[in-house]
Amino acid sequence: MQVTLQTIIGGISLGAVYALVALGFSLVYRTMGLVNFAHGNVVTVGAYLASTFYLSTKLPFALAMMVAIAVTGVIGLVIERVLRPLENKDFDLMLIGTIGFGIVLDALIIMIWGATGRAVPSPVAGAPIELFGLRIRTYDLVVLAIAALATVLLVLFLSRTKRGAAMQAVAMDHEAATAVGIHVGRSNAIAFMVGAGLAALAGGLVGPLLYVSPTLGGALGIKGFAAAILGGFGSIPGAVVGGLAIGVLDSFAAGHFQGYSELVTFLVFTAIIMIRPTGVFGERTVNRA
Amino acid sequence: MKLLRGKRAVAAVLAAVLATGGTTGCSAPGAGDKSSDDSGPIKLALADAQSGQLSSLGAWELKGAKLAVSEWNAKGGINGRQITLDVFDTQGDPTIGTNLARKIASEGYLAMIGTAESAVTIAMAPILKQEGIPNITSGQSTGLVAVKSEFLFLNGPTSTTYDETLAKHVVDGQGIKQIAMITNNGSYGKGEHDAFLKALTARGVTPVADQVVTTDQKDFSAALTTIRQKNPKLIFLGAEEVESGLIVKQARDLGITAPFAGAAPQGTPVFLDTAGAKNAEGTIVSSPYLSNDISEASKSFATAYKAAYNEEAELHGAKAYDGTQIVLTALKSSNVASGKDLAEAIRGTKYEGLLGSFAYDETGVGIRATSIGVIRGGKLAAAAG
Repeated sequence: MQVTLQTIIGGISLGAVYALVALGFSLVYRTMGLVNFAHGNVVTVGAYLASTFYLSTKLPFALAMMVAIAVTGVIGLVIERVLRPLENKDFDLMLIGTIGFGIVLDALIIMIWGATGRAVPSPVAGAPIELFGLRIRTYDLVVLAIAALATVLLVLFLSRTKRGAAMQAVAMDHEAATAVGIHVGRSNAIAFMVGAGLAALAGGLVGPLLYVSPTLGGALGIKGFAAAILGGFGSIPGAVVGGLAIGVLDSFAAGHFQGYSELVTFLVFTAIIMIRPTGVFGERTVNRA
Repeated sequence: MKLLRGKRAVAAVLAAVLATGGTTGCSAPGAGDKSSDDSGPIKLALADAQSGQLSSLGAWELKGAKLAVSEWNAKGGINGRQITLDVFDTQGDPTIGTNLARKIASEGYLAMIGTAESAVTIAMAPILKQEGIPNITSGQSTGLVAVKSEFLFLNGPTSTTYDETLAKHVVDGQGIKQIAMITNNGSYGKGEHDAFLKALTARGVTPVADQVVTTDQKDFSAALTTIRQKNPKLIFLGAEEVESGLIVKQARDLGITAPFAGAAPQGTPVFLDTAGAKNAEGTIVSSPYLSNDISEASKSFATAYKAAYNEEAELHGAKAYDGTQIVLTALKSSNVASGKDLAEAIRGTKYEGLLGSFAYDETGVGIRATSIGVIRGGKLAAAAG
């Protein structure tokens, strides 16, 4: 029992990070119908920026995160601007374009920060909380709180603001949206910017939990992508549920199947997708290809 | 379409030529090689991960090897010829490694330094053997010996030596019998698992827990909670630097206070940084190079290393330095031989290195001892007793 509960706790904090990565994937997908393959690399950039401002410039962790989110947001804008001429013309080229950006970002990371990684000390001091023999890291609680806050803010932005509503409209029918005077390009740019910001948030938060290296985003990107698919690609609640589910599933598989855990995680994932091809929340609002 | 067909024909011819080249190389490695002409610089290749999660190993290797080469070049090279060291990035990937082995063979390198990963070296070994290129690796898996290539040499002891020394220290020396194991399923982790388990079994000790994790696992709650319930006095750790660090960090967060023990990775700065110095306190390390202060040679190596790269020297740099020195010494004593002659010259080289006295046998192992160290106050120091 204790092992089971402790495993769930361990899985949830990484799951929250997967959820943030999945949110970025889903946001861009629901707005543009595009899978941003550079997303994982943006996570890595965010992790490096946050850790650089935190460790080298000695900014407080929260401030370092905000600067990192702002800078990666700009990177998101740049990616969208370069790909914009292809919007609604050649979808495959756009996909390849995001892969290309991923490779460029990867190379830039190694040029700027080197191929070796860095360890980031936890910004929250204090021993783990002990509860009925279970131990909960204080930093895990911070990660969960921030991830929850980010999700709430995103939902409010999409449902309560004019710009958010415009993005929803583009997602539903971009031609009709253009007809009523919505700037589709701008909507897409915002989706990319917010998506990149979420990636930086995920990368920055995961830094003290793991080890910041050029390969960090690759691992998180694949799990985040799987989480988005599991929840229903394009769905906001789906991304959150999918992220937590992948995190917990991963931890359980590790406990029971040890060296074969990765295999089991993705087998279970495949089985769920075969039963429900559109994921748990099965939205799939966009199909523009 | 026509052009495509033409290209295909060229590719077929090229493949045929390569295949013939390969067989020739097999029948008489190194004999009459184009690389053994005695003008121009002596070409050495260094193959290691320069990117990816294992790139810190590659970076250390490169620094150690470069230091040895620049020392020889400063003294005027070998027979008046300068030595060049070219870098090939394996990314820690065996497939990329095999491609690089072919490239290194086709570009006339006399010998190869690296890699730091046993799996990559094992993948490259058959090609290097066929092409007659001596290779001195930093890998330590017993699988390297099993390849049975007369061109493959190790610049350190094998896992068996590391773990036998460790088991002797903790079980025979300190009387610790309640030992848990956590290892990964990669080639290094598996080698450590088997070697340490064998050393324990030989002493009649059964580990209280034997947990296996994957190489890119990030959350170890399940394995560590299981270990915590068994209440071990010591936890054996068989994983690379970063993963080991994460395991120790998470173990302390879960309230595990037992010390960890392991081989080379647990003595590195990357392990210490990832785990945090406080969490790593008391870790027992089996290593052939405990610190920069063990001998006069290591002191001067550390000074030169610090001067060249402005950072502290450590085991992997020292191993690569030793390995490169051995190759260069053999090149000098053999009058810049290549192929089988160079391999025999390396085997015949007796070398007093940073890790100890090297004397190679037919298995390609040149050194058979490690020492025990303990991490105290964020530094690895020789264990008392």
